[in-house]
Amino acid sequence: MAENDIVQCHDLAIGYAKDDVLLSGINLTLKPGEIVAINGASGIGKTTLLRTFAGLLDPIKGQVNIFGKPKGNRGEIGYIPQRLGLIRHASVNHNVMLGAKAGHTSAWFPFSRVCKIHALEAIESVGLKHKLRTPIRKLSGGQQRRVAVARTLAQKPRLILADEFLAELDEETLNIVMQKVLTYVKENNAIMILVEHDFERAMQMADRLFTAVGDKLIEIGEGIVPPNSTIVG
Amino acid sequence: MEEKPTPLLDVWYQWRYPMIFLTLFVLAVGVTNSTIEGNWQKLFDSPRNIQTFFSESLWPPDWSVVDPQAYPVCEKPEAFDFMCSTAWIGTLETLKIAFVATVFGMIISYPISILAAENISPGWVSYPARIFLAAFRSLPSILWAILFVIMVGLGPMAGILAMTLYTVGYLGKLQYEAIEGVAKPQLDASRAMGHGWLERSFGVILPESANNLISQAIFMFEYNFRHGTVIGIVGAGGIGYYINLYLKFLQYDKVFAYVIIIFIVVIVIDLLSKFVRSFFRDDKKMRKHPWWTIVLPSGLTIKLMKRKP
Repeated sequence: MAENDIVQCHDLAIGYAKDDVLLSGINLTLKPGEIVAINGASGIGKTTLLRTFAGLLDPIKGQVNIFGKPKGNRGEIGYIPQRLGLIRHASVNHNVMLGAKAGHTSAWFPFSRVCKIHALEAIESVGLKHKLRTPIRKLSGGQQRRVAVARTLAQKPRLILADEFLAELDEETLNIVMQKVLTYVKENNAIMILVEHDFERAMQMADRLFTAVGDKLIEIGEGIVPPNSTIVG
Repeated sequence: MEEKPTPLLDVWYQWRYPMIFLTLFVLAVGVTNSTIEGNWQKLFDSPRNIQTFFSESLWPPDWSVVDPQAYPVCEKPEAFDFMCSTAWIGTLETLKIAFVATVFGMIISYPISILAAENISPGWVSYPARIFLAAFRSLPSILWAILFVIMVGLGPMAGILAMTLYTVGYLGKLQYEAIEGVAKPQLDASRAMGHGWLERSFGVILPESANNLISQAIFMFEYNFRHGTVIGIVGAGGIGYYINLYLKFLQYDKVFAYVIIIFIVVIVIDLLSKFVRSFFRDDKKMRKHPWWTIVLPSGLTIKLMKRKP
């Protein structure tokens, strides 16, 4: 498979300083259409790993390769931070348009009619069309999460990095949003890395599941039991 | 190793803030003492001096400043003839100077403050931008006014130019501090998406820090109005021109009337600021203030707002 189609990291060590490495020795190759979930205790380095893939942190050691480049191209990475990163004083439409512009325009001329269409589609898909002009600060926590998902869907990225993106959602909305994202990834051959505390949900969504233990990222496969879980039967 | 609590350490933790303030106060008194060479008598005499000045020269204020001027002849209806007075004309001119200077200053300072913010721009960009803003700020507005009076002559144009440059320096500093306060996740999401400088500056930072930027712009407008009175003294137009005129003739009661007018306008601007900022409040329970609440004290407004369902 061509390097331009995959997300890869080799002997990656992540953290905020050389003497404060959180995870090390990470080797990953993610193919198009693949969904990977990362699980592990708080503070172990899951978010830091996502931030490194997003190009927000430089690796302490090793390399990250996002579709052939260390930080990917404009609009290729859709990032949903744990605290969402929405513009609180701006409307739902403005926030989703930010994603659409990143995905469908150039940095020096971020204007296109197509953006409006993609933004509206994404807002409709998460059921917030009636809140189009509402400022984010007036939405509930769950609605805000849906806006963050819509922003990413409107962007149409090749790599989605989602940090606990389904938290605070009621069961019905959770299923709708989850299906939208999963369908998007599979239909567009995108790659998704998600941090998910809920182990069952992670199993349900992901093709591959990793857990962070100590300073290592271990793939959970047959015969390997995730920490703090019980084998039934 | 765990730190062993000692009685001295306990006292320090319990009393550290009052002790720091007391030390600073004692230090300030000491510095004052050395500056005035121990001549505290001047300070003790001051209440008597100000009482004499107030009763003989300031009080009562001479409200003839709101009477229409003799020339040019006032053509307004009698009820509105105060609009031909020096107080009205001067206040309006100062307000215009302050408004124009604030708007131009804000437009010029925003891109510079984006460059100066350390969380957006690299050090080699932010430090020169900060130095640039500091240069504008370090010259007081009255000196800018003198400079522009020499360049473009007496009148409001000199006032506008002086105020604009000072606003760029002052507001720019406030703005880059507000921008540096923009939360990290917003910038992270924008960076990860690959937004360019233009999108991040105007699509993310501008709306995200709108609350602070508006509040600062209104503060700057109020500041410019107050200082507009000062720069008027050097001939840069506005109410300051009339204040200077009456100060020269030692007509302090008229000056006092102007000061009261300035005070009232400043309060009105402050109340307006409260009203405008209420559009950007985060508190969902706090409803947007109706326009008429600008004339009420904030405590009363909050009580009224709570009472309504």
